[in-house]
Amino acid sequence: MTRNPALDRRTILKGAAAGAALSITPLRHVRAAGAPVKVGVLLPTSGVLAFLGQACRRGIDLGARMMAESGAPAMEILHVDTESKAEQGRVAAEKLIREGCSVLIGAFDSGTTISAAQAAEAAKVPLVVNIAAAPQITSQGFQYVFRNFPPGATLVYNAVARIKELSSLTGVAPKTAVLMHVNDTFGHAVAKGVDILWQKLGVPIEIVDTISYSRSAKDLSVEIGRAKAAEPDILMPVTRVNDAILIVRELVKQNVGLLGVIGPGSPGPYEKAFTDATGKYGDEYMDCVPWYDPTRDKTKRAIAAFADDYPDQRFELNVGFSYEAVEIVADAIARAGTGEPQALQAALRETNLQDHIMYGGPITFDETGQNTNIGGVLLQNQGGAPQVIGPAEIAVAKPVFPMTPFAER
Amino acid sequence: MARERNARTGRRPRGVVAATAFFCALFLVPHLLDDAWVAVFTLVLFFAFVGQAWNLMMGHVGLLSLGHALFLGIGGYATALLLGDYGISPWIGIPAGAVVAAVVGVGIAWLGFRFSVRGVYFALLTIAFAEFFRILFSNWPLIGGTGGYFLRVVPEDNVPLLSLRGGADHFYYVFFVLFVAGVALSARLVRGRIGMFWSAIREDEEAARALGVKSFRLKVLAVAVSAAMTACGGGAFALMNGSLFPNTLMGMQMSIQIILAPIIGGLGTLFGPFVGAVFVVLVLEFSRDLGQTAGVYGLSTLIYGLTVLGVILYMPEGIWPHLVRLARPLRRDR
Repeated sequence: MTRNPALDRRTILKGAAAGAALSITPLRHVRAAGAPVKVGVLLPTSGVLAFLGQACRRGIDLGARMMAESGAPAMEILHVDTESKAEQGRVAAEKLIREGCSVLIGAFDSGTTISAAQAAEAAKVPLVVNIAAAPQITSQGFQYVFRNFPPGATLVYNAVARIKELSSLTGVAPKTAVLMHVNDTFGHAVAKGVDILWQKLGVPIEIVDTISYSRSAKDLSVEIGRAKAAEPDILMPVTRVNDAILIVRELVKQNVGLLGVIGPGSPGPYEKAFTDATGKYGDEYMDCVPWYDPTRDKTKRAIAAFADDYPDQRFELNVGFSYEAVEIVADAIARAGTGEPQALQAALRETNLQDHIMYGGPITFDETGQNTNIGGVLLQNQGGAPQVIGPAEIAVAKPVFPMTPFAER
Repeated sequence: MARERNARTGRRPRGVVAATAFFCALFLVPHLLDDAWVAVFTLVLFFAFVGQAWNLMMGHVGLLSLGHALFLGIGGYATALLLGDYGISPWIGIPAGAVVAAVVGVGIAWLGFRFSVRGVYFALLTIAFAEFFRILFSNWPLIGGTGGYFLRVVPEDNVPLLSLRGGADHFYYVFFVLFVAGVALSARLVRGRIGMFWSAIREDEEAARALGVKSFRLKVLAVAVSAAMTACGGGAFALMNGSLFPNTLMGMQMSIQIILAPIIGGLGTLFGPFVGAVFVVLVLEFSRDLGQTAGVYGLSTLIYGLTVLGVILYMPEGIWPHLVRLARPLRRDR
């Protein structure tokens, strides 16, 4: 028999020995005194949530750059892609903790966030949630989770409150509405929340029909036809960006006469992809979401810096909340005076950031780790970009309500 | 029998020795690697285990299921609901989920085989049921619907062995035990009388029936065992993730992920699903790091796709059979 030179027993043994030697090498990084504090960021920068995950990443990178320029403690940002898979949350968090990260930021998607939170909790490393709306994130007893994003109920509460204020803001009182929602986790939760809060807050607008549609819908002519038949004053779509575009196109096609289109806590209409795709027909579309405060100097500086770094992108809520997450971490590091995770957790508990970019009160965390001071604004697309039209104290544009009929644009 | 010594040399068969060494090496992973790699290898064991379960149906009986995430979901939700809503230990919850999944599996199998649904039509039937249950779970308020179901955080006085929840090492060993049990059960079934009948059904069902093989019962048995095993994996997976969403746990993407490892590793082999899972998870892991370093979004998916394409082109029978073939010259040299 001829021997196989490439694969004899000695070769295998040598390979095995080398592998074993490599595998027992200690991989956990030691935190060196005076070194930049490592901040781990886990976001879905690929997969189905990539579009939004990448927007978050831009906010993180901008935040890191601006914190460095402002003389904040040195931070080293380490990114890991969760690929829009919940089970990758734990793996990504473990990986970042191994790399010596003292604090984590993430993870956009609620399932991934919970998965990562469990790893962070076990390792006693704080996790600052930039975006994730499931209420359970701060109600399951985590000690190391801090969320600077409104849970679903708050998101909807703020949205319904803004819609209720609409008549006093514009002097026009709509009587009826049709609620449309995408048939997914978020869409269902918002629709259910609207239903409950509508009664609770006594909104004087009757919801005459609720229409749900598939997440993968390519045509909404039937749904819009049904909404048109109900003859509502306002249409309230809970959408993602693609279906928001479909809705506008269908409204134009069927020439639906409405006083207004208002998304109650709906992602999509403020996206650049939406305004680019719908052009003048996307104008005057309203949305109630947590948003940046355009009147603050800090916000203006952040937007200007963002425009320099990403001239083709829009500074929106995903960017804003991610930017703020970096700001929260930088503030905690500065107050703790160390990069030790336990000290950072204690510092995060005491957070009280008065001057920040998103609309709302000071950033503080309650005993569950939730920031309860996040506000909601009423946006309206005007001139191809979202403008704040309410509440009055931060409005930068006047509302156009009733909206201009599509046929007259 | 595998345990018998070789009559001529008095030694145990080489396969048993190799398998024992392999399981010992797997057992040592948490002692040799850090938590991040342990978490990665936990996913390897998870996909190897559920791949093993799927392989029982497809690899050994020739029943193509494209809706296996259904059983993963049933096991996951049963375990999580019993623990979260009633405080019932996963030691009871996981077997309970397995029983429910087996019953559902038997129902689907009975319905399909009773009306002679075969091949791709059976695959379509499994997709239909998986989608039916996914939509049902999505609209079931009791289990959180599309908003998901969440487990409370592990308390300070947690005893991992009782709660089956803990850190990275703990979950690794949970899946390690499941994987070893899965291999043992599969080996027992496949190498016994039932396995021979299954092979006969896979090769030519009509001929097998003509020889007296009770194909209907045996196929239903395969589905039941496969469903129960997958549900056990789902239960442990739910404990590890801490949250369950019908769309992610029971969706088509998860069904595809389940079948990738056994297909790439080698259909109808005992170790193919493990080899496939190692390949699938590690290639993704390394390509993700590469994509991150290069700063190119989605590069990992591209690399992964190309690598899988390469494997399918150059090792159509799977990686494990290919490795076995490569190792043969070595054996002959001794």
